[in-house]
Amino acid sequence: MNGITRLYAENDVLANNNVDFEVLENEIHAVVGENGAGKTTLMKILYGLERADSGNIVFKGKEVSIHSPLDAGRLGIGMVHQHFCLIPEFTIAENVVLGIEPLKRKFFFDSERAVKNVREVNEQYGFQIDPALRVSQLTVGQMQLVEIIKILYRKADLLIFDEPTSVLTEQQINRLFSTLRKLIKIGKTIIIITHKLNEVKEISDRVTVMRKGRVVAVKKTAEIDERELSRLMVGKRVIFQFERDPMPPGGVVIELKDVTLREKGQERPLLDKVNMQIHSGEIVGVAGVGGNGLGELEDVISGLREVSGGVILHNAEDITRLSSLSLRERGLAYVPQDRLFRGSSLQSTVSENMIISNHHLFLKGGVFKKKEVQAFTDELTQHFSIDGDTKALIATLSGGNIQKVILARELATRSDFFVFSEPSWGLDVACSEFIYSKILEIRKQGVAVLLISSNLDEIQGLADTIVVMYRGRVVCSFPNTRDLSRELIGEYMLGLRDDYQKIS
Amino acid sequence: MSENGFSLPLIHNTVGIMTPFLLAATGGLFTELTGMLNIALEGLMLIGAFFSVVFAAATGSLFLGILLGIISSMLVALLFGSISLYLKANIFISGLATNLLAAGLTVVLSFQLFGSKGVIRFENISKLPELRIPFLQKVPLLGDLLIGHNILVYLSWLCIILAAVVIYRTPFGLRIRGTGLSSPTITSLGLSPTGYRLKAILISGFTCGLAGAVLTLNLGAFVPNITSGRGWIALVVIYLGNKTPLGIVIASFVFGFAESISNYAQGAINIPADFILAFPYMITVSAMILYSVWRHYREYGK
Amino acid sequence: MVRKKLSSVFINSVGLIITLGIAFLIAIFLIFVLSSTPARTIYYFFIGPFTNKYYFGNMLNTAVPLVFTGLGIAIAFKSSIFNLGGEGQVYSGALIATVVCLSLPNANGYLGGALALISGLIAGSVLAGLSGFFKMKWGTNELISSFLISGAVVLIVNYFITGPLDDPGNSLLTTCAIAEQYHLLKIFPPSKLNISTFFGILSAGLVFFLMFYTHWGYEMRMCGLNREFSRYGGINVSTYLVMPMALSGALHGLAGGISILGTYHMCVKEFSFGMGWNGIAVALIAKNHPLGVIPAAIFFAYLDAGAKAAMLHSDVTFEIAAIVQSIIFYLVTAQAIYSFIKFRKRAPA
Repeated sequence: MNGITRLYAENDVLANNNVDFEVLENEIHAVVGENGAGKTTLMKILYGLERADSGNIVFKGKEVSIHSPLDAGRLGIGMVHQHFCLIPEFTIAENVVLGIEPLKRKFFFDSERAVKNVREVNEQYGFQIDPALRVSQLTVGQMQLVEIIKILYRKADLLIFDEPTSVLTEQQINRLFSTLRKLIKIGKTIIIITHKLNEVKEISDRVTVMRKGRVVAVKKTAEIDERELSRLMVGKRVIFQFERDPMPPGGVVIELKDVTLREKGQERPLLDKVNMQIHSGEIVGVAGVGGNGLGELEDVISGLREVSGGVILHNAEDITRLSSLSLRERGLAYVPQDRLFRGSSLQSTVSENMIISNHHLFLKGGVFKKKEVQAFTDELTQHFSIDGDTKALIATLSGGNIQKVILARELATRSDFFVFSEPSWGLDVACSEFIYSKILEIRKQGVAVLLISSNLDEIQGLADTIVVMYRGRVVCSFPNTRDLSRELIGEYMLGLRDDYQKIS
Repeated sequence: MSENGFSLPLIHNTVGIMTPFLLAATGGLFTELTGMLNIALEGLMLIGAFFSVVFAAATGSLFLGILLGIISSMLVALLFGSISLYLKANIFISGLATNLLAAGLTVVLSFQLFGSKGVIRFENISKLPELRIPFLQKVPLLGDLLIGHNILVYLSWLCIILAAVVIYRTPFGLRIRGTGLSSPTITSLGLSPTGYRLKAILISGFTCGLAGAVLTLNLGAFVPNITSGRGWIALVVIYLGNKTPLGIVIASFVFGFAESISNYAQGAINIPADFILAFPYMITVSAMILYSVWRHYREYGK
Repeated sequence: MVRKKLSSVFINSVGLIITLGIAFLIAIFLIFVLSSTPARTIYYFFIGPFTNKYYFGNMLNTAVPLVFTGLGIAIAFKSSIFNLGGEGQVYSGALIATVVCLSLPNANGYLGGALALISGLIAGSVLAGLSGFFKMKWGTNELISSFLISGAVVLIVNYFITGPLDDPGNSLLTTCAIAEQYHLLKIFPPSKLNISTFFGILSAGLVFFLMFYTHWGYEMRMCGLNREFSRYGGINVSTYLVMPMALSGALHGLAGGISILGTYHMCVKEFSFGMGWNGIAVALIAKNHPLGVIPAAIFFAYLDAGAKAAMLHSDVTFEIAAIVQSIIFYLVTAQAIYSFIKFRKRAPA
């Protein structure tokens, strides 16, 4: 792939900026990078799910145009998506042959031959799975295997895996890797997208590192160590220097005790006995790579998802099973990661969005005091210099302004506990700094702050205490000091270090 | 046994009466499996009813009447499908539109052609031939119930068997089911869910046309709004039958039996006919609620 | 920002005009095909409802129950809930109102009348509220459950009208007539237009106020637009599965009640058929805006009245209206038309 550029017109994000990417035949090639580095976009272009704005693709020495997954399939390119494309009610065999079903008597679907064909694929590659099973009965690892069988059945030579290990357990990952090695032995080529460096080391022959839509390095895996990779991935960035006055530690506002969250049918818990304390006037920064429980922590602590075990205390009272409504009444303010669906209602006006957290303050006998609502929104708009008409739909505002609306609204509630999740994601420097100054301001007022972020600059710049999560568990927790190296935190984030090694 | 005096003819009648439900539900099953709520069954059936009897009278041939009735119904289904799928209209509203169009069009045409908006009799139409299929008579216990129906009744059985085969034994059926269960998966394989949906709508046009023909050709007449909610009931039949061909046969029988009893009940037994007709609705809604309760507790534990 | 808002209004109105334009063109085409005196038919079809007080008043009177059912559907749609049980809710509201009037033959007209209307309202509200309750409690699909409940209720109401409550002295299948003092005051004789018109206007105003000025309206709309956001903001989301449904049913029940007290004075079998379905169309044409429901209902009634006038004075049949209505149904939600307009508007820029 040469000079691939993909611009998302909707939000002016350059997902791929003049990317050159090369895979050699019969190698396992890892593509690594942080969230939003453009790995998935690049692969979707290769698989025909997205179109490049410029650039070209050369496959087996010939320039090709791939407009749809069908084209990709014809060329022998298959992709296993992060989210499986399977029909749970169908059997494995039915899922595998769907679209190119074997026939008997020219008209009927030959289910026996479908099973037989899949068995043949299984034998050829040494998979052990009964094609007659229903997909809904399978574990996540087995479903992934079905996806692999599906593309092998379609005679793919180049297999793309998008973060294949993110949903798997340790044993399943090992099994997947031995499968991948088997495939290489018989001449297939594999691209694997991941952000887990130990996996890169373990499985790949070469690695391409991406950052912010660009390729920053292409190396032989054997010639590079994990620390070097980690440095390439996160890059050297300027750490903002904030005036973070030392604060006398206040009382515990929020405490999590053994908080656990399980999803049905998944072996590994999404949150695994998380313990945490947040004091008044303290910012606890939780860092971690996507998919390691950060989002789940956010959901649980804001009362939007019920925990499977453990307790959450607020001022020493149990709030574990309270609804988000009662939590808000008790003084929770919350800036969510998902701004567009959880944080705002796009088809409502700016003003309607501004009063969601405290609309009951503007009522007289159930009727809104429109003037006060207007005064309130006008004041916030001005104070936070939000660019936009308060009577227009919030969807007409830019991303930064939408985030400011959310921030303004949450800051206007009287709260003693504040959750920020990825508060500056995708925002420009000025906007981010504005938000940081606000976070430090409420810290000064004695609010307990939970800052969940995958951005290390943010965590290091703001937090009093740094907590790192890996695979749903807290792997370290220590006070933030200036001389703390980001490499060290990075090693915790990537699972290379663990202070609370599981006793098993 | 003394009850046989009325119960046998009653059930024999039921087998005849359930035919329109069975046919409409057979086609509706296809659209339902592709994940669409097809409320146009009623209108499509009405179109089939009108045009089959009119064309039968005009051509003097039952076969041509039925064929042209089905074609008319499929044409309206094509209109309904294209507007829903290609103009992206809300399928529910365009379904309502189809029902309204059918009701309006049939009356307007009958007024224009025959100068009447009431019952139109066609004297020259021959009766639907009744069949006595010998091997059915030999079926133990049921033999007497299965014979002596008109040809369309047997055709409806053929349709549901064919439907079962197509749905479970052909690639087309596999893809139809796949479309309803997970259309993104179908798209990811490079197949077109829209295409399968349109085909399903056309199939429902076919069977509804036939269902309509059953109503009018039995009678040799067209009565305005002769379907009187049978298309809606067919929809209920699909749900009550748990979206399977066998379930649909049983559910159609339940509704056919209710209607048959209510015909018989006038004066004979004490339960009012309307109650009997309301009964299947209540069964269906209760079944639906129980199902959702069960699913709720399975997903959320206690 | 203001420009963008205007343009969405623009797109909606152009889309509506195109829809109505196509429908009228088809009406004219049908008349030319079907009528031997097309000019006369077209005249009565389009102008007929305005030619005398009787037609005009009756047209407005037809619109009144449609205002109620349209409002009921608009409330449900605004909350992203589907009420397909309108038919049964109207019909049962009408029956209950009739029964109350019949069982109090000598009561005061205002008190008894109010009681009758409120009973009808409650009947509709309970029927619809049930579906909302099942949805809240177990996630039962309210679209199908409301439709099925309504299907059963229609048959049961039929039974009461033709059975225990049937008026043996009347050849129609109907209940006995309600007492004179319950009849709503006529305001535009000789037509049947009565003071329920004002109830309709008042209700539209009230629903508008409720939706855009009150706490409940705000929470309801937010739940309708984005449930996740509402839950995040601390709104009790499950309330807003039941409440809009119950309100919607109440308005349907009321539509039934006022039809009895204002127009029919007795519960005739199947008299209300179509009011529920047409309410859906009215709400969609009005884009679920409570004040838009009034012109949309009048437009629907106008089509009806025009077809009736054309039938009386010319050689076409009334059902032409159904065909024209069906064209409007077909096109009114067609997304493709609106995106086409958007596309055309953007293209030159």
